[in-house]
Amino acid sequence: MNNLWQYRVRNVFSVTIICLSFLIVGIFLSLSNNLQYTAQQISKNMVIVFFLKKDLSEKDRNTIGEKLKKSSEVIKTQFISSEQALGKFLEKFPELQGIVNNLKINPFPPSFETTLKEKILSSDETQSFIQSMQNMKGIDDVQFNKDWVERMQSLSRLAKAVGFFLGGILILASFFIISNVIKLSVFARKDEIGILRLVGATNTFIRIPFLLDGIIMGILGGMLSLFVLFLVIKLFPLYLGSSLGALNELINFRYLSLSQSISLIGAGAVIGFLGSFSSLAQFLKV
Amino acid sequence: MIELYHIWKQYQKPQWALSDITFRAERGDFCFITGPSGSGKTTLLKIIFREIFPTQGQIVINRRNILRVPDHKIYSLRRTMGIVFQDFRLLFHKRVFDNIAIVLQVLGIARKDIRRRVFNALRMVNLHHKMWEYPAHLSYGEQQRVAIARAVVNSPKIILADEPTGNLDPELAFEIMSLFKEINKKGATVIICTHDRELIRHFGHKIFFLYKGKLLRKETL
Repeated sequence: MNNLWQYRVRNVFSVTIICLSFLIVGIFLSLSNNLQYTAQQISKNMVIVFFLKKDLSEKDRNTIGEKLKKSSEVIKTQFISSEQALGKFLEKFPELQGIVNNLKINPFPPSFETTLKEKILSSDETQSFIQSMQNMKGIDDVQFNKDWVERMQSLSRLAKAVGFFLGGILILASFFIISNVIKLSVFARKDEIGILRLVGATNTFIRIPFLLDGIIMGILGGMLSLFVLFLVIKLFPLYLGSSLGALNELINFRYLSLSQSISLIGAGAVIGFLGSFSSLAQFLKV
Repeated sequence: MIELYHIWKQYQKPQWALSDITFRAERGDFCFITGPSGSGKTTLLKIIFREIFPTQGQIVINRRNILRVPDHKIYSLRRTMGIVFQDFRLLFHKRVFDNIAIVLQVLGIARKDIRRRVFNALRMVNLHHKMWEYPAHLSYGEQQRVAIARAVVNSPKIILADEPTGNLDPELAFEIMSLFKEINKKGATVIICTHDRELIRHFGHKIFFLYKGKLLRKETL
C-alpha cells in the first residue's frame, strides 16, 4: 500500500484506464441485459391471435377451439367474439367511440387468443403448428409477433458481442498499461530488488508486493467502473428526457447482475495480476 | 569450503579482468584478498556470490557447483552468506533498522526476534543509538558499519567483505576486524578484500595477492 501511495499519480492514471476499459464492457453488457429483458417480456406476453371468418358456424368454431386446447404447444386459449373485441377496443381507445358508432357493421372478426409455451416460441414446431392451424377451415388470418422477439434477441447478442469486442481491445490495452506502470515502479525500485536478491530473498518474496499492487489497482479500476456505470444508468434517462418516447425503453440501461459485477471486478484483479507478473520477470535475474 | 577452479573473467575484449584464478578457502578460514585498485578483487568477490558469472572456470561452495544453480534457487546460497559491498548498497528510503531487518524478514524470522537481533548487530558495530535514523543522515563510516551489521545479523557461514574498513578510522577498523575475527572463531569462513597492509599483518591467516587479474602468490601465516 505504501508503494501504491508513493507512486499515486501514475497509479491513478492506471486505475482510470482500467476503469474506462471496463466501463465500455459494462455499458454494452447493460444494454444487452436490457434488450434481453425486453425480449423476455415480449415472449412472456406473446399471444397468437387466430382470426376467424365472420360467417363461421358454431360447430367449426368449436372444432378449432378443441384443436387449440389439445395442442401440446398451447398453454391457454380463449375465444373472443366480435362484440368482445369491439368492447376491448373501445376500452383502450374511448376517444374513437364516435367513429365506431358511425360504422354500420362491427369490423372486428371473432378470434382465438392463444398463449404458447415460452420455450418453444422460436422453434420450428411453432411455425409448423401455426401453419397447420392456418390451413384449417374457418381461419382467416394469424397475428404473431415472433419476429420482434427474434429481433430483440439478436440485438441483445449483437450488443454483447460489440461490448466484448470493444471492451476486449481496451482491456488488452489496459493490461499493457498496467504492465508498464508496474514496470516503472519496479524500475524505480530495481536497486531494492537487487539488494533483496543478494540477501537471499526468493522471487516470490519480491513479487508479492508488486502483484498485490497490480491486483489492488485492477480491483479499484473494476469497482470504479461499476460506480461510473451506476451514475450513467441513473443520469442517462434524465439527460434524454422523454424525447425518444417508446424507444426510451429499448435503449434504457439495466444495471448489471451481481454475478456480472463480481466477474467485472474479478477480471480487473486478473488483469492487474497478469500485468504485474509479466513486468517483473526481467528484474529477477540478479 | 569455497573452491575456485581456473576462473577467467572478461568484461571487454581483449582485456581479462581475471586470469586463471584457482584457490581454496577451507571452512573457518580467515582470508584476505589484496592487491592494487583494478587488480580484480571486487570482480572475484562478485563471482563468489554469483552476482556475475565468470567467462570460464568453476566455483564450488560446500560441494555445490554454484554456476549450475538456477537463478530462482540462488537465494539458498545467498542465505548462507553475509556480504559487505564496497558501495554499501543501503536502501536510503528505509531506516537503519529496516535496512538490517530485511535480511531476517527474508528468512521469515518472527518480528520480535528481528528487533532483538537487529539491535544486537547494531550494538556490535556501535550504532545501536542510530537504529531509527535514515542512512542519508549518517556519515560514510557509519553507513559502512550499517552494511557490516546487515552482513552479520543472520550469523552467516560465509562472510564476504569488499573493503569493509575503507572509510573507517584505524581504531574503528581494528574493532570491525576483531568483530569479523570473532564471527570467524564461531566457524564462519571470512573473505575480506582490502589493501590495508596493517590489518592484513595483524589479522591475516591466508592471503591472496592479485595483480592485474592474476593471482601472484598465496601466503599462509
